[in-house]
Amino acid sequence: MALGLFAQGKKENDTQGITTITWWHSNSGLLQEATDAMVGRFNETIGKEQGIKVQAVYQGKASDVLTKIKAIDQGGNNSSLPDLVQLDAQAILDIRDNPVLIDAETLAKENNYDLSQIVESARLSQTYKGKMIGMPFNSSTILLYYNKTAFDQAGIKEAPKTLDELATDSQRLLLKDDKGTILRYGFSGVPTTYELCAWLGQQNGLSLICDMNNGHDGIPQKMLFDSNGTMDNFLTKWKQLYATGALDTATSGISASFASGKTVMMVASTSQLTTTLEMIGDRFELGVANLPAVDDKATGGVNIGGGALYTLDNASNHSKETWQFVQFAVSAEEQLAWHIATGYFPVNSGTYELDAFKQHVQDNPLFGIAIKQMRESNPQLQGIWVPSSYQIYYAFQSGILKMLTENKDVHETTLSLAKEIDGYLTDYLNMQATK
Amino acid sequence: MKGKRIRKATPYLYLVPALLLAFLFCYRPFFLTILDSLYNVSLNGVRLKFVGLSNYRRLFASESFHDSWNNTLRFTAIFAPVNLVITFSLALLCNTNTKASRLSHTLIILPMAVAMSSAVLILKTIFDPNVGVLNVILNKDIQWFSTARDAMSMLVVVGLWLDIGFDFLLFSASLRNIPKDLEEEASLEGVTIWERLRYLEIPLSAPILVFVLSNNIKDAMLMVSPVMILTEGGPYRSTQTLVYQMYLEGFKGGNIALGSAIATIVFLATFLFLLILLAFQKRRVYFQ
Amino acid sequence: MSKTIRSILSLLLALIIIFPILYCFSASLFARTDFSTSPARFLPTTVTFSNYARAFKASNLARFLVNSLICATVGTFLRMSISLFSAYSLTMFHYKGRYALFIIIIATMLLPGDALLIQNYVTIQRLGLTDTYLGLISTSLLAPTSIFILRQFFLTVSKEYREAAYLEGCSDTRFMVTLLIPMSQSLIVALTVQSFIQIFNDYLWPLLVTNSEMMRTVQVGITMLGFSESFDYGPQFAAMATLMCPMLILFIVFRKKIYEGVSTRFSGR
Repeated sequence: MALGLFAQGKKENDTQGITTITWWHSNSGLLQEATDAMVGRFNETIGKEQGIKVQAVYQGKASDVLTKIKAIDQGGNNSSLPDLVQLDAQAILDIRDNPVLIDAETLAKENNYDLSQIVESARLSQTYKGKMIGMPFNSSTILLYYNKTAFDQAGIKEAPKTLDELATDSQRLLLKDDKGTILRYGFSGVPTTYELCAWLGQQNGLSLICDMNNGHDGIPQKMLFDSNGTMDNFLTKWKQLYATGALDTATSGISASFASGKTVMMVASTSQLTTTLEMIGDRFELGVANLPAVDDKATGGVNIGGGALYTLDNASNHSKETWQFVQFAVSAEEQLAWHIATGYFPVNSGTYELDAFKQHVQDNPLFGIAIKQMRESNPQLQGIWVPSSYQIYYAFQSGILKMLTENKDVHETTLSLAKEIDGYLTDYLNMQATK
Repeated sequence: MKGKRIRKATPYLYLVPALLLAFLFCYRPFFLTILDSLYNVSLNGVRLKFVGLSNYRRLFASESFHDSWNNTLRFTAIFAPVNLVITFSLALLCNTNTKASRLSHTLIILPMAVAMSSAVLILKTIFDPNVGVLNVILNKDIQWFSTARDAMSMLVVVGLWLDIGFDFLLFSASLRNIPKDLEEEASLEGVTIWERLRYLEIPLSAPILVFVLSNNIKDAMLMVSPVMILTEGGPYRSTQTLVYQMYLEGFKGGNIALGSAIATIVFLATFLFLLILLAFQKRRVYFQ
Repeated sequence: MSKTIRSILSLLLALIIIFPILYCFSASLFARTDFSTSPARFLPTTVTFSNYARAFKASNLARFLVNSLICATVGTFLRMSISLFSAYSLTMFHYKGRYALFIIIIATMLLPGDALLIQNYVTIQRLGLTDTYLGLISTSLLAPTSIFILRQFFLTVSKEYREAAYLEGCSDTRFMVTLLIPMSQSLIVALTVQSFIQIFNDYLWPLLVTNSEMMRTVQVGITMLGFSESFDYGPQFAAMATLMCPMLILFIVFRKKIYEGVSTRFSGR
């Protein structure tokens, strides 16, 4: 917090040839500890050699960090910007065309850094119009979390691999009392945009969700999930799941519900693994598995989500020094330490070859499963870069819930979802000043 | 004479700050809001293209707006009368001169001492299905934040708590102002509670009842901050109100045109309801 | 219903109503584990004051408070000054358009501030006043209700006073300070207190207008202390309990005056 008071929008003057780099991030609690440790290691080694000092400042949640950056940008006072900032997917639309951004591709070239050492799906998750705009940093994917103890009790040997199996398993795991009140659900959750990216994108090997290459090549103009049948397919399966009566359509408190045994399965990010283990304690044995595929043809796997590091132009001309730190942060060894401390994926393919890593995966099989899922996924499977992400998130949830509770027709739901979301895309296009 | 001119100008000068503020923060933004709603507006607030009522058409066709409209109206329709009945009844109940009721008078206005954000945060914890004491008290397992119906009920309760202090204060003061001789007459003549209400307390409190009701309607139509802190519009947009959507579209989404259209609609709707209420009041209320 | 039953019932209901306040104080003393017990607790297992220390040390709570106090004090001073001068102008002078200008000021009450948020924000942003105290208080400076009430009162003040004072060379300010203000003392005190509380409690506008953590007001800051993300609610309750205290004391001590103040407004109408 003292750092916060100090570095708020202000930059230390370069003293005695030491270049100070400010880094705004959104890592709190355990994550902040890991962040500070990494920064400490840099400052003690490369930092000392090259006269660079990194100052990491916690600026709140990812959305708060973005708000701050936007505010400075709008005010035109660019020198108040930090040198490096960690932002998540919500920020992409604001940052990718912004003149203050110094994209990673350019910096890598200038510093002779080989970007191909970054895991392909992570690389693509930060690629805009063919160039990498930021350096992926805290990457995660989705996992199926399940109560292994409950599975064993019900005699289910394996976690469900498809949505059909999810439905049958859920039905078997459903527990009611004599009055018919549900004591335990099979599965809890309503598909979020993030989950849908995987469930829609993985179909038929690889499918697009919206045009412009899921928004990675420009501003998307329309959704494609209505015309390529992926949404219809998914919703049909989801309706089946709901028909079992074992689906809990909760939107919040799902982790607490899972940890207390009120539901047997849920999908959540890999970054929640450690917290979930803590919450469960010794109540039951936790199991994780790949996200159940929509059907046998849905082989795309899952996409990578998470935040990235972006270098900003704040007129201090420190981009070279900033890149030194970025390189360090995504080096094979640092990514191993980062993974062990936080559960995020190593983005450097070199990490996966390290003996220490292989040993760690052996000792922590749960993490191993997540990593295996990512490596088996099609790296081209990417999330969507769309505006109005909040509204779109609600549109999906609201539309899907309506379909379930009012027993609406699947194709109708798909069409109305596409229509509603296309509306948001059009809004955004209308807001672009014609040049 | 210079002195005389200064003298003449002085009263105008004294009014300048108020007039300037009124212009800058009330009238000008009002007209600009309506203006912006008729254009496509860029993220920076620049009016790009005149599109007439297109933004309004977009809103009326939007699912999200339907939800906002229905939720806000539903909330207002439940909250305003419930608040009126509960608070007024409470004021009537406490309208005695015993020690206990005097203590009640002190206690019931205390919610006014708690700022909105604190109050909502406290209630949020109390309502939490996992950590909160409400489910313990009720001995039920209500998912206040996951079910649309319960979330709306929670919002109504929160709204009630936020307003109860002020409304109770007004009603109590108003009841106290009822001339003692009329009260004595009523108790002497042995009228029933309902007759007493109908012919004494309600007519004489009518102006304040109308005031509180109109205030509550206005507050309900404009409900936003508790939604922001409590539910963020969830679950499933079931607590998304009009002004909250305005905040989402206008601020979070940067869509000034759409936000302005929502603002204009909110203003018109509230104005309309208040006019109706005023017309109703003119006909029925008995002024002393 | 007999008086006793009524009294008991009213007391019971009153206690139910203030339950959240009591809970806040209790929860401020909870240890971290007290929040995750099942079923949830009403009282702490052991009384710990550590939450209070943590709330102030581990966050910028003190700074938030300072910001709120500055805004409320400066804002109230400016707001009352503007209201006083406006009411003075509208009553102590005769000039063309006097009533029209009054209506123009009062009519702003019809325009709900929340619907004007977007434009007001753009205005403040264009003026470069985001993250400034001025930006924070700017929308609270116009108080049409205060102007209305003060005008009503000033109208009852005999014009002769002012004519006489003017003839003696008394300036407007001096007249106000030495005569009008003392005359309308209780009214001004009530309006000042109300204004202070209103600005101090404001939530939405400060939320939108400030991005910097250093400029946050306490009502906004309290929702962003960051403790609740780890289910560590204690410090948040401690902060809220601290905030509530002065206000609660005010309301309990001055309860009579509050009720009286409201009553007189009725007889006035």
